[in-house]
Amino acid sequence: MKKNSKTILISLDIDGTLEIGDPPGDLTMDQVRIAKGKGYIIGTCSDRPISTQRNIFKEHNIEIEFSVSKHMLPDIKKQFEADVYCHIGDRDDLDRQYAIKADYDFMWPDEAAAHEWFKK
Amino acid sequence: MTTQNAPASMYRYEEGLGLWEHRGKVAAVGIGHSPTERRWDGTRDTSVGAISILALQKAMEDAGVTPDQVDGLVIVPVTTTGAFWPEETPLPMDVINSFNTTNDPLDGIAKLSAEWLLQNMPELTNVKYTAYGPTCMSNALNVASQAIGDGLTHTCLVLKAWHNLPGRYYQSGVNAENEVPGTHATRSLWGAPACYGTALQFAEYCRKYGKTHDMMAPFMSNSRRNGLMFPEGYWAQHRPEELTAEDYEYARWIAKPANLFDNDIPIMMAGAYLFSTAERAKDMKQKPVYILNHAASNGKPRSLVPTLAEVESETASTGRKIYEGAGITADDLSFENMYDGFTLFHQFHLEGLGYRGIKFGEALDFYQTDISIEGPNPVSPSGGNIGSGRSRVWLHTDSIQQIQGRAGDRAVTGVKPEIAVSGGPMPLGGNYTVWSATPN
Repeated sequence: MKKNSKTILISLDIDGTLEIGDPPGDLTMDQVRIAKGKGYIIGTCSDRPISTQRNIFKEHNIEIEFSVSKHMLPDIKKQFEADVYCHIGDRDDLDRQYAIKADYDFMWPDEAAAHEWFKK
Repeated sequence: MTTQNAPASMYRYEEGLGLWEHRGKVAAVGIGHSPTERRWDGTRDTSVGAISILALQKAMEDAGVTPDQVDGLVIVPVTTTGAFWPEETPLPMDVINSFNTTNDPLDGIAKLSAEWLLQNMPELTNVKYTAYGPTCMSNALNVASQAIGDGLTHTCLVLKAWHNLPGRYYQSGVNAENEVPGTHATRSLWGAPACYGTALQFAEYCRKYGKTHDMMAPFMSNSRRNGLMFPEGYWAQHRPEELTAEDYEYARWIAKPANLFDNDIPIMMAGAYLFSTAERAKDMKQKPVYILNHAASNGKPRSLVPTLAEVESETASTGRKIYEGAGITADDLSFENMYDGFTLFHQFHLEGLGYRGIKFGEALDFYQTDISIEGPNPVSPSGGNIGSGRSRVWLHTDSIQQIQGRAGDRAVTGVKPEIAVSGGPMPLGGNYTVWSATPN
């Protein structure tokens, strides 16, 4: 496994962001697996119940480091030390603005799907 | 003449009216539900008109009634969940013109008239009575009950349908305008979310009685559990997700202390019932569920948001009206299915009823006891809107199914389902029905 020099934490919205979301988004679960394989800290940040967020990833056999509600991005920053914090989501009000407020980088799902983090 | 709202004289608003004059002489028999969807996908068969027709057909079939036997139709004409057809979006003329149209192109798409339904259900050849019960199925049920009792119809379909369009909830319609007309100017001026009034009342409730928002968690989990056993519901059909205490506690605030899950999810659906006279119902396919009473509340707050004191006064009055007209007491209730969308006012309804003897300020403690369908004190066995999505229909369907012995996995087992009450929506304005396994 190629280890990244920077510690990168990626927070994933689900609905409208991931392919398994409602509605489906651009980012595939296989791409999440690729990012996970690169050693990034991966977790979910969605309006879905926290238990559901965990169950979704358990069903897809992807181990994630955190599952939280949208307003809890600052808590994650306190919990994990990283060089880069990035939230990926499809909504301006519920993703981008929360990310900016919590001092995270932000990517739209289509940007993320094309980003090197999610490519082999 | 086009169909009109039912006159005020059909509702039982006042205390002191005595027993309902048609007590036990009206019955619910058939139930019909369309499938649910999160939003309309723009196709003909999932339009609000199409799913309404489907629900009505199912209700007739369930009751074993042929369309020509139906002589009444009571519906709710408003179908919006808060989503309005955007002015800039072209009308879906292919879908509109695939039906028989009225002079309003959005009829059957984003609203519903009795005339549209009758034009598109030519099999309903003998409908002589139509009326609107505004806003809610709870209202339409009051109208249908009274209409049958009064002899205006003997076999009546009752319908409530909902459309939900793509895009954000409550971001269109008047909320998207630069200027806010009429009473909206005072009620919506500050852009607060719809649940803020209830949130303020609940905050005052917690202060007055020393309770906390977290104490709602058992009610939330119980409601979702019941909803996941409601095969007609949204969560059971699409996203079988439980709602744990942790899920609830960590949800984001919408209008503190109302969080995300204190608000119901807007969906597409249609629900219908077939009501008849008790005499005719005896020969129909399903066991009749008799109506012992219907009641209505229309409290007027002194300001923009009702205070907790006004809420408690009105729900107590509603409770008295419900019992008086039905000739029962709180002790006679097998279970309750009062409205829950917003969750934070369910306990106001419950305390107004004095369900299981609880008094004002005691409902959240009551939620910490066994409120499951297996226990002696079932709370919202339907799961309500929290359990199955925004419809304001589940509470009634469940009450009927429980008493008919058709509630499946959701059947109450800790009590014998004999008498129930359902209704809502708001503590200061709602309509209620008392259901019974027997006519007296």
